[in-house]
Amino acid sequence: MARYLITLSLFFLVLIAYLQINTALSLTEQWRLIFTAQAVEFEEFQFYYSTLPRAVLAMMVGGALGLVGSLFQQLTQNRLLSPMTLGAASGAWLVLICASVWAPALLADLGVGLATAGSMLAVGLVLLIAGRRGISGLPIILAGMAVHILLGAIASAVILLNEQYARHLFIWGAGDLTQVDWQWVAWLAPRLSVGLIILALAHHPLMLLRLGEQGAKARGLSILPILLFLVLIALWLVASAITAVGVIGFIGLLTPNIARSLGAGGALDELAYSVMLGAILLLATDAIAIVASLWMPDLIPTGTAAALIGAPCLIWFAQGRLTANDHTALQWPEGAHRVKPFVWWMVYASILVLLVLAFFFSPANLTSTVQAWPFEWPSELVFSLRWPRIVTAMAAGAGMAAAGVILQRLIRNPLASPDILGLSAGATLALVVTTVVSGGSIHEAGSIVAFIGSMGVLAILILLGRKHDYAPGIMILIGISLAALLEAVVHFVLAKGGDEVYSIIGWLAGSTYRVSARQSILLLTGVGILFGLCLLTSRWLTLISVGDQIALARGLDAKRARLVLLVLVALLCAMVTAIMGPVAFVGLLAPHMAALLGAKKALPQLVLAMLVGMVLMLLSDWLGRTVLYPSQMPAGTIASILGGSYFIYLLARRRFT
Amino acid sequence: MIKALGFLAVFLCSINALAITVTDSRGEHHFERVPERVVTLSWSIVESLIELGITPLAMADIDGYKKWVVRPALPETVIDIGTREEPNIERLAELRPDVIIISNGQSDLIGKLEKVAPVLFFDAFNKDHNNYQASRQIFLELAVLFHRVALANGRVASMEARFAELKAALLRHFGGELPKVTCVRFNTTAVLWVYGDNSMPHYALEALGLEPAFPQPATQWGVVQKKLTDLAQIRDGIVLSIEPFDQAEALFSAPLWKAMPFVRANRFASVRSTWTYGGPLSIQYLAESITEALLTIKP
Repeated sequence: MARYLITLSLFFLVLIAYLQINTALSLTEQWRLIFTAQAVEFEEFQFYYSTLPRAVLAMMVGGALGLVGSLFQQLTQNRLLSPMTLGAASGAWLVLICASVWAPALLADLGVGLATAGSMLAVGLVLLIAGRRGISGLPIILAGMAVHILLGAIASAVILLNEQYARHLFIWGAGDLTQVDWQWVAWLAPRLSVGLIILALAHHPLMLLRLGEQGAKARGLSILPILLFLVLIALWLVASAITAVGVIGFIGLLTPNIARSLGAGGALDELAYSVMLGAILLLATDAIAIVASLWMPDLIPTGTAAALIGAPCLIWFAQGRLTANDHTALQWPEGAHRVKPFVWWMVYASILVLLVLAFFFSPANLTSTVQAWPFEWPSELVFSLRWPRIVTAMAAGAGMAAAGVILQRLIRNPLASPDILGLSAGATLALVVTTVVSGGSIHEAGSIVAFIGSMGVLAILILLGRKHDYAPGIMILIGISLAALLEAVVHFVLAKGGDEVYSIIGWLAGSTYRVSARQSILLLTGVGILFGLCLLTSRWLTLISVGDQIALARGLDAKRARLVLLVLVALLCAMVTAIMGPVAFVGLLAPHMAALLGAKKALPQLVLAMLVGMVLMLLSDWLGRTVLYPSQMPAGTIASILGGSYFIYLLARRRFT
Repeated sequence: MIKALGFLAVFLCSINALAITVTDSRGEHHFERVPERVVTLSWSIVESLIELGITPLAMADIDGYKKWVVRPALPETVIDIGTREEPNIERLAELRPDVIIISNGQSDLIGKLEKVAPVLFFDAFNKDHNNYQASRQIFLELAVLFHRVALANGRVASMEARFAELKAALLRHFGGELPKVTCVRFNTTAVLWVYGDNSMPHYALEALGLEPAFPQPATQWGVVQKKLTDLAQIRDGIVLSIEPFDQAEALFSAPLWKAMPFVRANRFASVRSTWTYGGPLSIQYLAESITEALLTIKP
């Protein structure tokens, strides 16, 4: 009880401090305005119609995010879960982008419903992929990231082709609480009030859940329907909050963790206390955003402030509490037991066919009025334009695939993708910050900056991971935090305006378009050398993926092996990202497909995955150049959409059969 | 011998007369004759070309130009070569251009484009220069390239005459004393961009002899993002909102909006849609739209 009283007084302190920011009104005047007086002067209007609704909205949204975060974390026994890691925000984002491009009239009336539908769809997809067993561990987080990347890639493709339309959505993507009337408070209040149902109903089933599902069943109670009902209400809360204020991360993830560490014990206790803490946290974060906006020439959105504060907090907070080892062994998907010669021939043949297409197919002959054979010998000029792209696509595909094999074995999870380490995010962050400071275009900032960004992330990974023997948990945590931080900063830069927005989105898509001949050779050489080193580590990979105990028994220094492998993954990722931008999904899918085709041992998996990665990237680059001719789509975007859809199909099929 | 020397002199003179020297952001470039097949990847350059009476052979993102830049209208014959971010160089090569003209955010393409044709790169928007002066300089350089210097000078002169005309109209309307004015573009009902120093609307106001009502530091594109309530700091001056803004109804009926000092004083008007990252002559379009809006405000 004392804990609640202290927190409540802290809450009032924060609220009163919040209301004193940038106002000429005294406390008594504010008091009068709230209860009796009519606003006359502009300061009074500003207080009543802007400051006050903003504070109320911050409390409401913060409380709701805290509640939902706590519910999800208790339901899944998973401390890293939050509405945002489940993909709710990216679903809403994609739907709103599409609506604003193709049906802007719809957006005004139905925007809210659309966002809700989008986020529910995304979360449903994530739950489907992770499955019931995956819900309490890493799989659900990895599935969340995969869906997030896929939906994000589609949204970026839409924005790239229709750059100007999405403009006004960027500030929403950055998450801003600025208000000019009570409209959003009035809109949100009844929608959030259903959250009370969670508080009323959740205690009993959640306490039973702590006993384990068997325990709950033993008491003659099937708690599944009621849990499902609770999840639906929670999703509704999140979607409403996202629609009203946009994407605000970290609050839902951090709040329940803080609540627990401050002594919240029982299920209801944690839920209720998280509501309170969430309200305080978002209010305080918003206060920081407001103060920062006073000092900066541009407005700082609340979501950006939340990410800038939340990411380091999360890492600091969680790293002491993560267990160093989980003793699971890697499970590969079903499929052939060894690679048949036929498969090898097929893969080589596909590479050959794609190379022919990439070099000799010219889509201009199909679109022109003169019917002509679409294959022709490229002129010297066209050849000099095509080969660096083709070499880059192949090298990038091979590099990301090799990185994926190593990472999946390192983390012992076939859902892991090199993007989750945050290396691409680090590169992008470095580039975006450089362009904002120097005022140039992101393409002029150069590969060196991108590489330095990735290496900075690697340094953080090594520094923080050392204490935990480079355990999967901490590495994923850092990756997630960095990715969320990056997204907030990018959305802030996008919202800031200027005509450079489209080149940032273009870079984020990952394209071979700008790669020079020299860069492509550099990438090919680098990936070649690193791949050779990967082949040398194949014994470690086999041992590590079985489990630390067995590896130790066979005389492998697991800690050192992990460090070396981590550095290999990081270098591969950093090289590819520095030269062509972030490439998602290839690193996730290629190893997966190789395993499906029968490459279960480390060495054949490395080689087959590399070839599959090449096929994927060659195909993506070629499709990107031809499908929308004369417009082009970046290979990274096509790879994400192709790979992401296949990935979801694969996992969904596994779930249903 | 003398005859031969004479021929040589005439020959040299004619080369001199024909050779064209243009200075872009990288330095001097020489052309032997006026380029006929012109391709540009930049919207602001297209605008200047059309003003000079040059129809580009091809350009990037025609649909986008027609929706967002609108004026000057684009001839139907122009060929699309894809997005501004990744223009299709292979298609470009097939068109065999004499010159390719690019601007901001595209300088890293120079290496690839130069394989196709000579490239002129103009750094139109930069924090460290006056964007308007720079765009005028670009316009005049293009005039040199296409042998249209007289036309360009005439165009600039007529633009200045138009400014004087508009300014006179404003002076008449406001009784000899011009108000302070700031242009904004609404993003949402709560957040907006203010066109500060180094933005094209800023220079349009300057050309009309109008002081900024809410001065902002110079940036690359000249815009800064602000909250709506920040505009309350404008105690004396007019706010103009450049359209389109699709939530206008919701905002303009809000009590807070009605309480904003400049709204209470009836110092607000909307400006019809005009592109704000254009070339020098877009300043004229902006000045015309701005004057049109200002004339609706009671002095």
